[in-house]
Amino acid sequence: MSTLRREAGLAMAVARKDALAELRGRHATVSALFFAAVVLLLFGFALGPDSARLAAAAPGLLWLAVVFAGILAVNRLHLLETEDGALEQLALYPVPRRVIYAGKAIGGFAVMLVLALVVLGAVGVLFAIDIAAAWFPLLVTVVLGAAGIAAVGTFYAGVTVRLRAREVMLPLLMLPVLAPLLLGAVKATAAALAGDPFGELGAWLQLLVAFDVIMIVAGAATYGFLLED
Amino acid sequence: MKTRILGFVALTAVAAMTGIGLFVVPADLNQGDAQRIMYPHVASAWLAYLSFGVTAISGILWLWKRDLRFDAVALAGAEIGVMFTAFAIWGGMMWGRPIWGVFWQWEDPRLTTTALLLALYVGYLLLRQLTDDPERRATRAAIVGVVAAVDIPIVHFSVEWWRGLHQTATIGSPDRVLNPAAPMVFVGTLLGMLGAFTLAWGYLMIRRYQLARAEVQREEAARLDRLMSARTAEPAR
Amino acid sequence: MTDAGYVIAAYAVIVGGLALYTFVLWRRLRAARGRDDEAR
Repeated sequence: MSTLRREAGLAMAVARKDALAELRGRHATVSALFFAAVVLLLFGFALGPDSARLAAAAPGLLWLAVVFAGILAVNRLHLLETEDGALEQLALYPVPRRVIYAGKAIGGFAVMLVLALVVLGAVGVLFAIDIAAAWFPLLVTVVLGAAGIAAVGTFYAGVTVRLRAREVMLPLLMLPVLAPLLLGAVKATAAALAGDPFGELGAWLQLLVAFDVIMIVAGAATYGFLLED
Repeated sequence: MKTRILGFVALTAVAAMTGIGLFVVPADLNQGDAQRIMYPHVASAWLAYLSFGVTAISGILWLWKRDLRFDAVALAGAEIGVMFTAFAIWGGMMWGRPIWGVFWQWEDPRLTTTALLLALYVGYLLLRQLTDDPERRATRAAIVGVVAAVDIPIVHFSVEWWRGLHQTATIGSPDRVLNPAAPMVFVGTLLGMLGAFTLAWGYLMIRRYQLARAEVQREEAARLDRLMSARTAEPAR
Repeated sequence: MTDAGYVIAAYAVIVGGLALYTFVLWRRLRAARGRDDEAR
């Protein structure tokens, strides 16, 4: 299995390169966090001030904010590539395409995870939700949700590289595909916060796992075609 | 010539089934006249799924064989699929209003899945429009088409699960007409409508494919012209 | 609107839509071919 190890190492190298670029510039994370904060605020205005209603809506608001901000993050993460032609240069290396995909998706996952955790905390504060009690299932949900958004986002970022009107096309393509992830994440979050009264948490988490696996496989398998020309 | 015959046969079949659906077949005992909507609604939904299946498979064939004719089939499937999807949603809403009292029901997995289907493939068509190079367009479209097709069962399953957990009684179910125990006259009308629509689908697919090929060939000719004449031509993406 | 109204609306849009699409397709096809070859 040394090829796997070698490929994993290469993927991590790609991820590390992206992470360093992001740490230096922080384009994606900061703007996404800010955007999420504003979105949460507007949710409060739109659906408040009744705190019971906001608390009930909190899981949905959490994931909507994460998804919307996530799209922004993905867009910015890949913006540098499109401008400098860095993606083409990467394609010149004799590295399997799926490794490039994996590396980029891992980098995206790191950003998404940070984003989702911060938004979770913010939602806890703004909408009076007790996240400490259910911290473990919430953490699992956040990890799975972030992974799915990163997988799908990296894939569509690859599709829309050098595309006209890509800022509109990226969300337009990503959002419908993310619908099952949104549903699963919201339901899992709600179940976790309520103490899983109906025992449905496991099923929703399974849906998230299935979604993540399918999207990662699809993304890795097709990324090569996108880098061809 | 054969296509033209197919067209006329399809036209006759659709007209006949419309007449039957509206006037000949009896109304349902429970759902009344509204049930008539099920025939074109269900037929549209099936053809939408068929179309998108064709798009996904043609996309894969393009990636494998690199023959642009497969891409033309994929485009035809997507455009016609979007049309049938819109019909299915419209039919579902027109049925929903008299039966449920509302135009939209979030718990109906088919309605919500179909709405998402529409969003996915409108995105597909927009993506195609924004790419000028035929081969790159075909590749991008093929990949997006495959992922969209893969997403659909996930969506359907998750929405079904969503509905299942939220135990409210739905008054009328579109399933009724698909129930094998349904009266023969209903099943027969549904199959007849499906057959008529499929004939129309076949005809439209052929014509749309021909249009796609014709347009690609003109694109190529125009490109060759530009390359020959202009000296400062920059390849368009 | 009575039930009949919804039924008519459903059929009109679906069947009418098919007819409209067919017509537009036919026109586009004629335009795309007409300028290239007359022998169709």
